[in-house]
Amino acid sequence: MTLQVIDNATCTFCGCVCDDIQLHHDEMRIYKAKKACVLGTAWFLNHTAEKKYPDALIDGKEATVEEAIQMAATLLHEADMPLVYGMSNTTCEAQKECVAMADQLGALLDSHTSL
Amino acid sequence: MYWGGNPAECHPRHFTKYTLMQKSKFLPRGRKDRTMVLVDIRETKSAKASDIFLQVRPGKDFELITILRAMIKEQHVGDEQIAETGMTREVLDDLVHRMKSCKFGCFFFGMGLSMTRGKHMNSAALLTLAAEMNAFTKFVAMPMRGHGNVTGADVIMRWQTGYPFGITFNRGYPRYNPGEFSTVDVLVRGDCDAAFIIGADPGATMPQPAIEHLKRIPTICLDPHVTHTSNLARVHITTAPQGIAAPGTAYRMDELPLPLKPALKSPYPSDEEVVRRINAAIAEKPFWLAEGSQPQMITNQV
Ligand code: SF4
Repeated sequence: MTLQVIDNATCTFCGCVCDDIQLHHDEMRIYKAKKACVLGTAWFLNHTAEKKYPDALIDGKEATVEEAIQMAATLLHEADMPLVYGMSNTTCEAQKECVAMADQLGALLDSHTSL
Repeated sequence: MYWGGNPAECHPRHFTKYTLMQKSKFLPRGRKDRTMVLVDIRETKSAKASDIFLQVRPGKDFELITILRAMIKEQHVGDEQIAETGMTREVLDDLVHRMKSCKFGCFFFGMGLSMTRGKHMNSAALLTLAAEMNAFTKFVAMPMRGHGNVTGADVIMRWQTGYPFGITFNRGYPRYNPGEFSTVDVLVRGDCDAAFIIGADPGATMPQPAIEHLKRIPTICLDPHVTHTSNLARVHITTAPQGIAAPGTAYRMDELPLPLKPALKSPYPSDEEVVRRINAAIAEKPFWLAEGSQPQMITNQV
């Protein structure tokens, strides 16, 4: 079986964000991450496109994404002082949406940096 | 100069890709044209890569930085004060000479500096030292960032709100006060009454009182895995891992944005999509401030 190759892929495991990685994959799994270091290789090879976890959980029970989204919106809207936190392992596009969320809710907004 | 960090094990390609090995127009011999100094309390693997290793006494970083700030200005420093940090005068004289005579110096500081006794005062002192070094030569300082895109979070928050972290919108406009609005403090004091956690696992990393508070309040968690935080959360949504199955942008620690090239097709939605959908669901509900008391936009003012 021939694998697809992506040149100059970006590793986001550590702050170096190396952008010269060559990935060999078949859309389900990455088999080789050339030029990546030990940490980066582990990061790429440990993720698969398999469905290992339920789509969403509400109070520990499986739920659909739409139900979970509605529930999340209700809980956040009901709160007097919600907190939006994290944003490390995610993209800038998602981070921007998080800032919009905090703005809309009148919430606290914080990242790992403050730790 | 690396201060309180262990790049050999935490940022394995930092030396080869950025700081030590690369050959350039002004440094044609690569590693041979550079001097690397490591300041740490322990002799880590990174010490092998360094030319000079300075073992500072634990908790004495601030004192050592202050001594260096005095020495570059040729102010008097007592022998006992130097001895207290675990250094000798010869070593520091040599270091100051090298720092002043280099063409371009850079401090990379890690959690060994910013998370030990003195905390952000240590970082502030090192930044001041770097600034003061510019009276003699070009010198800069840069924090060694961990986790993927923390730098991106800083940049995005700065762009959108004017502040990098520790922000509140509770008066309708952003205000900044680390210590008051930073998450650990908020959680330990039990201030907030709901939490939305994305791309982080405070359930595994925060102090126990903070975790207890997350258990008490409704917590919502977005993560590619079911984490410690998901287990204590009311709502967990599985999302596609960034850079592997979700496209987007990530910032390198020197604030250079880089595009991600995802290889896999994930069965889960991306963080971006889920947050956008939650925002849309919130927007359908009434605004949290009563009509008339909403903050005025500049364009609406007379
Ligand atoms: S390849 Fe290694 S050094 Fe580069 S970003 Fe990934 S983990 Fe960091």
